Amino acid sequence: MKAFGKYISKHLASFAAFNLVLALLNVLAFGITFQSVIRNDYGDTSPQTMLEEIAAASTVEGVSDDARQKLESAHIWAMFLNQGGNRIWAVNIPKDIPGDYTIQDVALFSKGYLKDYPVFVWNTEDGLLVLGYPKDSYTKLTSNYFSIHAIQTLPLYMTGMLTADFLFLFLAYYFSRRKIIRSTEPIIDAIETLSDGKPVSLAIGGDLSEVAGSINKASRILSKQNEARANWISGVSHDIRTPLSMILGYAGRIADNKTINSSVKDQAEIVRQQSIKIKELVQDLNLVSHLEYEMQPLHKEPVRLSKLLRSYAVELLNGGLSESYPVEVGIKPAAENVILECDSRLIMRAINNLVQNSFRHNPQGCEISLTLDYSEAAITLTVADNGVGLSAEKLRELKESTHYMESTDERLNLRHGLGLLLVRQIVEAHCGTMTIESEPGQGYQTVLCFQVQASQG
Amino acid sequence: MDQAFLHTKKLLLVDDEPELLKMVTAILKDDGFENIILAASVKEGTAAAEIEKPDLAILDVMLPDGDGFSLMEQLRSFTDVPIIFLTAKDEAADKLAGLGLGADDYIVKPFMGQELLLRVYAVLRRCYKMDRKLLKLDGCTVDFSRAEVHKAGKVLPLTAKEHTLLETLARNEGKIVSIDSLCEALWGDNPFGYENSLNAHVRRIREKIETDPSKPVSLITIKGLGYKLNIRK
Repeated sequence: MKAFGKYISKHLASFAAFNLVLALLNVLAFGITFQSVIRNDYGDTSPQTMLEEIAAASTVEGVSDDARQKLESAHIWAMFLNQGGNRIWAVNIPKDIPGDYTIQDVALFSKGYLKDYPVFVWNTEDGLLVLGYPKDSYTKLTSNYFSIHAIQTLPLYMTGMLTADFLFLFLAYYFSRRKIIRSTEPIIDAIETLSDGKPVSLAIGGDLSEVAGSINKASRILSKQNEARANWISGVSHDIRTPLSMILGYAGRIADNKTINSSVKDQAEIVRQQSIKIKELVQDLNLVSHLEYEMQPLHKEPVRLSKLLRSYAVELLNGGLSESYPVEVGIKPAAENVILECDSRLIMRAINNLVQNSFRHNPQGCEISLTLDYSEAAITLTVADNGVGLSAEKLRELKESTHYMESTDERLNLRHGLGLLLVRQIVEAHCGTMTIESEPGQGYQTVLCFQVQASQG
Repeated sequence: MDQAFLHTKKLLLVDDEPELLKMVTAILKDDGFENIILAASVKEGTAAAEIEKPDLAILDVMLPDGDGFSLMEQLRSFTDVPIIFLTAKDEAADKLAGLGLGADDYIVKPFMGQELLLRVYAVLRRCYKMDRKLLKLDGCTVDFSRAEVHKAGKVLPLTAKEHTLLETLARNEGKIVSIDSLCEALWGDNPFGYENSLNAHVRRIREKIETDPSKPVSLITIKGLGYKLNIRK
């Protein structure tokens, strides 16, 4: 089911997008939180600014009053060392800070701390300016070096990492999508089958077993209802048969009785003809409902259609067919020995329904032609007449409209018989196709086409 | 059609519906059958068959004390009488068509009188050959017992295949017999590709029975379907 796959993709994609947005939000929140701190650190009292300012305001003799004031307000101490390591002047200097320094002392504190005060140095022509910040105000990286190689690989590393992140995200998306679809696929399929009115049985364990159980239950209810409907139709059609036999039999006897006057005989003939219509309807109704709910077992066996068609025609002709309906059987040499796996009774029924339709629509008589052809692994059975045919509009209606058996629309024309519906069901049960062609005055023909898998005999 | 010789056959009807029995009897009597025995249950049917020894049994599938199939089983224990089933259920018809229980034919209700008669005659003809062995055709006589054709003072012998072929057609006189049925009668099951041989046999029979073999009047070809034998009235 494509819609469902799309639905899952859409949701997983939006989940991934949501993750990205969340990451961006984190970065933004981080930025805002540290902005003030950073502004402070890189602002007026930051080591860099202070160093530049104080260096500019100081000489070997001392420092300007402004600079001194600024240092005091920021609680920063300062001292100036000459080239020999001796303190020339100092501001705010704590008592524990010594006055003279060896070369080792300078090397050590310039990188780190002096008596736990984070100190920063500025090189001038005359000596070294040292600023001491309050304890615990700054941390200094004592190993503040990176190899050039490391710095150079940093961009590559960053892009690689990002790419990998996206890749992992995509893989996670792909696999979770696949997993969801795999576990829901049988359920979706079952729902589709169910929506066609066919029974399903799902065997799924795990998280979705409850859903599967509900679907199975729905299917059982549907099957039970269908079965009840089919059994009801079956029962009614069974109960109609015996009385109808009687009506047919006696109407026939009266119609054929030579001693009775002709108007009574004509009326008896009408009773007989109408009873025949009911008979056909009853026979078709039961089979249609059984095929509809797949309750009709198909007795498939290898059948030579040429033989079946001939025996049908022989039975039709021997049954005392009126002269006004000449029947011609044309079997192409290629089709003569083709074997089709089919239920011969049902195929015979389909042919008969089509022929009976031709009779019914052409009371003035017409030629009936039954032909069989075989090409490209398909056998084509054509039932055609040269009778009145159908108008283009009627033909379209016949092809497109739903039969009332399969529709709940009450406005549909109820005068359609079941004959053609049954033919279509039989053809579908044999995985074949049915095509209707007709033109007004040019006759009417139905082409049934079946695929032949087995090699021909 | 000369089916009068079948009218003396004794028919057994078993159905629990008295009205239906009455009607079927009327239809059969109208057409000339005189010897009809009626029964309404498996028990009555078995008893009647034992005493009367019918030539054909027409059984309803649904009976008050069992079904027609079990009745058939009981009948089969002492007689080979041909059986036609009457059924009001498609399911039973499926069973009959699918399993071949050994019944000779079946009729699904509702049926027309004509249909019933056709099937009764067809089964009777198949099971009981004509008592008279002489077949009168236009311009000749066929003597089946001696496998000879008597035409214009000459005696022409029939081969075994020709005899079978003519007899099959004669049994269905006036009716079309399909190519397939004829091939089956001559060569048994699965007679693929024998149509040409069949044509040859038909040609040779025509030379023996027809006055003008190029314009046959007795053994007629029904194009694409089979052959028909017309018997002189």
